[in-house]
Amino acid sequence: MNQKQVLLNRIRVCDFVLTEAALYLDTHPDDAQALEFYHKHLAMRQQAMEEYSKQYGTLVRTQPHSTDHWDWVDNPWPWEKGE
Amino acid sequence: MFQYEKKLQYPVKIKTPNPALAKIIVSQLGGPHGEMGASTRYLNQRYSMRDGVVKGALTDIGVEELSHMEMVSAVLYQLTRNLTPKQIRDSGFDAYFVDHTTGIYPQAASGTPFSAETLSVSGDPIADLNEDLAAEQKARLTYDNILRLTDDPDVRDVIKFLREREIVHYQRFGECLNRVQGQLNQKNIYAFNPNFD
Repeated sequence: MNQKQVLLNRIRVCDFVLTEAALYLDTHPDDAQALEFYHKHLAMRQQAMEEYSKQYGTLVRTQPHSTDHWDWVDNPWPWEKGE
Repeated sequence: MFQYEKKLQYPVKIKTPNPALAKIIVSQLGGPHGEMGASTRYLNQRYSMRDGVVKGALTDIGVEELSHMEMVSAVLYQLTRNLTPKQIRDSGFDAYFVDHTTGIYPQAASGTPFSAETLSVSGDPIADLNEDLAAEQKARLTYDNILRLTDDPDVRDVIKFLREREIVHYQRFGECLNRVQGQLNQKNIYAFNPNFD
């Protein structure tokens, strides 16, 4: 894996953890251990997202990204194998 | 509101096109147990729920199903790249191809277009949550059947991920149903619509 894929993979792993923890928290909103777990991974995800968008363009349109070129439209898109 | 993230929930990288397999997997996009129905079902059922926990679970699971709809579509897209006319004819993909070429159209494997009749919004939290539990099992069994029909490791990896998620959703919906039933008035022994009556 190149650096771009490593970073994207880190974001995706964090996202999976957050999705899974969020569904658990939806039905257990006062579980202190789950809350701490969620917030720890949220911080990891934010850091990885910032690093990624600085180097490889944005994954979310409303996050800071290039002011010289509208990189949102750059190929590949997620369903294409090159992501 | 919804906002798009330019990535898949789980990567889809299929090396070998296989239009015959696409003909089957399309059912998990627009078939009776598919992801289009799942996401619509949960996101539309939210409005008749009173409990914040159930609204939260339906929202988060509904949004996750939208991501699954995108993943199934990515599988279909990659299975139908660079086909020759001979491959299209020999695989039986021709019946789909004649109307949709290799565009991604939501239909069942039988060719029936996506129908909103495959999902239910009853306005009754208990009826809806029971529907959702069944829907998760039906999605899971369809993924099981797809796994029985393909050896391609690139496809199986994605399908196994999706299958696992249905099991987690089933668990969460079970907790939601217990919660709503626990809130019923003691006299409401037949569990009729707790929001309306």
